[in-house]
Amino acid sequence: MELSAKPPKRAIWSGSIAVGLVNVPVKLYPMIREKVFSFRMLHRRDNAPIKFKRVCSKCGEEVPLEEIVKGYEVRKGEYVVFEEEELEAIKPASSKKIALEKFVDLASVDPIYFHTSYILTPDKSEEAYALLLYTLQRTGKAGAGRLTLRSKEYPVLVHPYRGALIATTLHYPHEVVSPQDMEELQGIKEPPEEELELAATIVDALSGEFDLASYRDTYVERLQELINKKLAGEVVVVEEAEKEEVKSLMEALRKTVEELKAKQE
Amino acid sequence: MELTKVKFTNLSKELFPGITKAKVIEYYIKVAPKMLPYLRKRAVVMHRFPDGIAGKSFFEKDAPSHTPSWVKTFRRYSKHAKRYVNYIVGDDLDTLLWMANLASLEINVTLSRMDDFEKPDIVLIDIDPAQGSGFAEAREVALFINDRLRELGLRSYVKTSGKRGLHVLIPIVREYSFKDTRAFVRELGRFVAKLRKEVKIDYAQNAVGKTMAAPYSLRPLEGAPVSTPLAWEELEKGLSPAELNINTIPERGDPWCGFFEPQRLEVRYGA
Repeated sequence: MELSAKPPKRAIWSGSIAVGLVNVPVKLYPMIREKVFSFRMLHRRDNAPIKFKRVCSKCGEEVPLEEIVKGYEVRKGEYVVFEEEELEAIKPASSKKIALEKFVDLASVDPIYFHTSYILTPDKSEEAYALLLYTLQRTGKAGAGRLTLRSKEYPVLVHPYRGALIATTLHYPHEVVSPQDMEELQGIKEPPEEELELAATIVDALSGEFDLASYRDTYVERLQELINKKLAGEVVVVEEAEKEEVKSLMEALRKTVEELKAKQE
Repeated sequence: MELTKVKFTNLSKELFPGITKAKVIEYYIKVAPKMLPYLRKRAVVMHRFPDGIAGKSFFEKDAPSHTPSWVKTFRRYSKHAKRYVNYIVGDDLDTLLWMANLASLEINVTLSRMDDFEKPDIVLIDIDPAQGSGFAEAREVALFINDRLRELGLRSYVKTSGKRGLHVLIPIVREYSFKDTRAFVRELGRFVAKLRKEVKIDYAQNAVGKTMAAPYSLRPLEGAPVSTPLAWEELEKGLSPAELNINTIPERGDPWCGFFEPQRLEVRYGA
């Protein structure tokens, strides 16, 4: 299948894959690029972007960043307060290394755990990268290790895919709900044999190749179409206060402020 | 030093034909020294025209939710609206410019001050030429009223409404009720009706929380006319209210000498 998302411009991580004593310097790029449209909120009257302010819910005043601490809500309205340093101290050290501790069959890993994938590219040394890539291709294995990204540590698999090394992060088992814990699924019984046979013939008749390309995000398509139409017609332009105009206003203002001051004295 | 707390936005928006918001704000900056004394401590009602005078407009009696904290407000029960109103106090240059930036072309003020809201300190005689009459008739009536008031020993002040009418104001001590001032103006209206039936004297504006266009307020008409304070001699000589506009008023001096010396009403009234 054609993969057609736009390549990212910037690596989000650089470091090395360590296999025993060998280091493979790599850069890490996002591979999954979800198509989302984000809208900005504008003031209907003048099309200026809406700004958010940090306001205290009790006194209503705007709170500067230096007066903000983090609180963990223990019970409703009750918080344990943390200083930034306390949290910083227990964060995982931002490791620049993916140590591959073990090599496994990729197919043996339950795909439910797959979190997201990144493209690894060689950083300066192509030979080391090529060696790892071709070795994994030949053996059909994936290297398992850990990756620290944005102060979170993930289990990771490094595996070959379409001529590249891919790092796929995994969820921890404690992050995944076991279906057997769903009450509605308790006590589902096996249907009678004849019903099952009949249903299976229907499935057989409808069997075929899975074609992901036949699925489309119709909402995003319609949205894109709408945006194109708007672009062709009327675009909402946010006006920046023109500098010249402001300058002449400030000039007039200076005179008025002086005049008002003189009156007061 | 920061000249104003107001951040001006959308300056190139046209609010009157050929007149941008920048020009409107510049106007209010320039007339502020003359205008602010007439706003001070009064409840101010904005008349906003976000899309210019051709678009929809609305009166904003309550301070809107986005009102910055430095704008003074005060709460009063409004019998008319049957609820509490959070009035804006026209107190300083920043407040005036904040309103101008909200496209409040027209700035209206109450006839009483916030520290004694039920007691008027201005009597307003609103001269409204109706039924095919115009400024000439309004002028005739205003001059007539001034003569009658002089006979009563009262100083009065006249301004153009900015449209075809005229406003005559009498500054008074804060010892009367709006009922008193209303009765006073109604009585004057009876005199006027004998002279010119087609010119109406609107006395009902003399009421708690009711407003008039502030002296030096722009009016939402083509050419951006101004509700302009006049000297009585100017009105006697004759003038064209349309020439008193956003371009001509900033350079004028304020002719209302002695406006802030209040007068007693009852000694003379009916004497």
